[in-house]
Amino acid sequence: MRIGIMSFAHLHAYAYADVLNQLAGVEFAGIADEDAERGKAVASQLGTRYFNSFEELLKADIDGVIITAANADHRRLTEMAAAAGKHILCEKPIATTLEDGLAMEKVTREAGVKFQMAFPCRYVPAVQRLKAQYDDGLLGRVVLLRGTNHGKMPGGFFIDPEAAGGGAVVDHTVHLVDLVRWIFQTEIKEVYAEIDRRFHDIPTDDCGLLTLELTNGAFMTLDPSWSRPDDFYTWGDLYLKVVGTNMVTEVDMMRQSLERIGSQDPNYQWEFWGSNSDYGLVKEFVACIQEDRQPTITAQDGIKALEVALAAYESAKTGKPVKLDN
Amino acid sequence: MRVGIVGFGTMGTTHAASYQRIADCELVAIADIRPERRALAEEQHDVRSYATLRDMLSAEALDVIDVCVPTFLHREHVEIAAEAGKHVFCEKPLARSRAEGQAMVDACRKAGVILGVGHVVRFFPEYQRAKAVIESGQMGNVGTVYTYRGGGGFPTAWQDWYARYEWSGGLTLDLIIHDFDFLRWTLGEVERVFAKSTWGRENNRMEHVLVSLRFANGVIGNVEGTWLDLGTFGTKFEFACDEGLLTHDSHWSSALKSYQLQSAAHTGKPGVAVPESPMAIDPYTLELKHFIECAREGKEPMINGEEALRAVEIAVAAQESIKTGKPVRLERG
Repeated sequence: MRIGIMSFAHLHAYAYADVLNQLAGVEFAGIADEDAERGKAVASQLGTRYFNSFEELLKADIDGVIITAANADHRRLTEMAAAAGKHILCEKPIATTLEDGLAMEKVTREAGVKFQMAFPCRYVPAVQRLKAQYDDGLLGRVVLLRGTNHGKMPGGFFIDPEAAGGGAVVDHTVHLVDLVRWIFQTEIKEVYAEIDRRFHDIPTDDCGLLTLELTNGAFMTLDPSWSRPDDFYTWGDLYLKVVGTNMVTEVDMMRQSLERIGSQDPNYQWEFWGSNSDYGLVKEFVACIQEDRQPTITAQDGIKALEVALAAYESAKTGKPVKLDN
Repeated sequence: MRVGIVGFGTMGTTHAASYQRIADCELVAIADIRPERRALAEEQHDVRSYATLRDMLSAEALDVIDVCVPTFLHREHVEIAAEAGKHVFCEKPLARSRAEGQAMVDACRKAGVILGVGHVVRFFPEYQRAKAVIESGQMGNVGTVYTYRGGGGFPTAWQDWYARYEWSGGLTLDLIIHDFDFLRWTLGEVERVFAKSTWGRENNRMEHVLVSLRFANGVIGNVEGTWLDLGTFGTKFEFACDEGLLTHDSHWSSALKSYQLQSAAHTGKPGVAVPESPMAIDPYTLELKHFIECAREGKEPMINGEEALRAVEIAVAAQESIKTGKPVRLERG
């Protein structure tokens, strides 16, 4: 099994590359990058081959690719990979417009290649435990949820409105929306949002608060802000509180950490010891190719999550709740 | 200053204990329609007791009336006290509506008496310290803010008045008005409110509310409150600023934790943790000490009727948003 990576614009590419190097029977076959300097440096650092263009990488003897380009480039690279008959693991959000997302779903379906969205939070064991609690009826009916996905301001293409399709809201809304849709088998039917740029001198939004109504009768607030300071003790958080009729459960993924307090700068840091969710995500992608089955995280999942983020921008612009068709 | 309390429930009991710690202040009498509460008051404190506020006023020479009756009875009792020329301390929330609150403010102004309102959170040291740090500018500008309050379970009280929305206003008016007042005190006026509640969707004794706030200065706020019984009551806040984070979690900052073992021995069930963070002077005593000083010297208290009315306006806007499903813009005037 040979897998390549298309672009290292998104930082998650490094984590996925690590997993490719760990998985038995998988060869990290090479990378191509629109930034040749970055691509060459990364290839030599990670001990893999650098291809001079995406076309050359796709001509090579590989089974699949991981697309970790800027959000606006996902569609073009997906179309190229599908035309070359390569299976695809695509970074979130699926695209910057619904039109692009739908085109990606269509082109991969028609080309008969597998398309998996990169929503690694589904592979967080605490999240899986929450899903089991719900599936086993321990939570009861879900009444309300509160989620936060805070982070630091990532820079790079993330703060280019064209390349990213937005700022913090498009970057961090999709993880929690995907988890809620997946765990509780519900859709989002209404979105209200306050969005602004209040932390950084950048061209995109960096904070917001979404209030959602779900088709299962529950409501939710979701904070996707890049509100963690640059020297915050970890990258950010992924937190979800679920109030059910029988139980209240809180998932706080980064809590599986040691507190490290020293005399050097930074003098306070979290040392994460929890499971590597990227490992589960990439392993599943490889297994889907090996066993010839469809990925469980589909283009449709990517589209539905993006739809909520785009509705949030519309709500913030109009000052009104936005209804979604499901 | 000679004080009479009307309403000897949870807050009346707390205030009665506080007055005994304030110099030059004497708790003289208590009014409560329940004979067993009157008996308890007489037993616990060296006071005379009456069935009604009017009875108490006609029999006693008082300077201050402390109104600790359920919310829907605030207006009636504040107006009786004001007409009798007494300074009035009224428990929060001041009123159930802007009109009701305004009438109380007007009645006290007309009578020339001081009105103070029990937004005691402004006297909690962790909240005072947070406001001071934010105002010092050390954290830069506030971008977003989150507050949490609850987890202690649904309050039990006279005639189950908390469970009647038209009497208590539910959790939005009764509980998280503390956070509305604190945030407005720290960050300035609120411009827009959008809110969701389990009220009307679920058992009202398990009300849980999530509020989205937009302040005039641009800060985006998320206020959470719950009557759910999550073991112990707790409070939290997080100010995310462009120069760092300022956070509080009452369970984390509890300086004294006690675990009752006896129940484990008898029933085999784990004991219940009772966290507390004792202070040299408790916040309730501080708020009443401040009010008594103001009443004595004829000064406006920090939380006067107008201040309390602003917090009521935010809570009422949240109630309206919950009802209509629409954002509510606060109109000032």
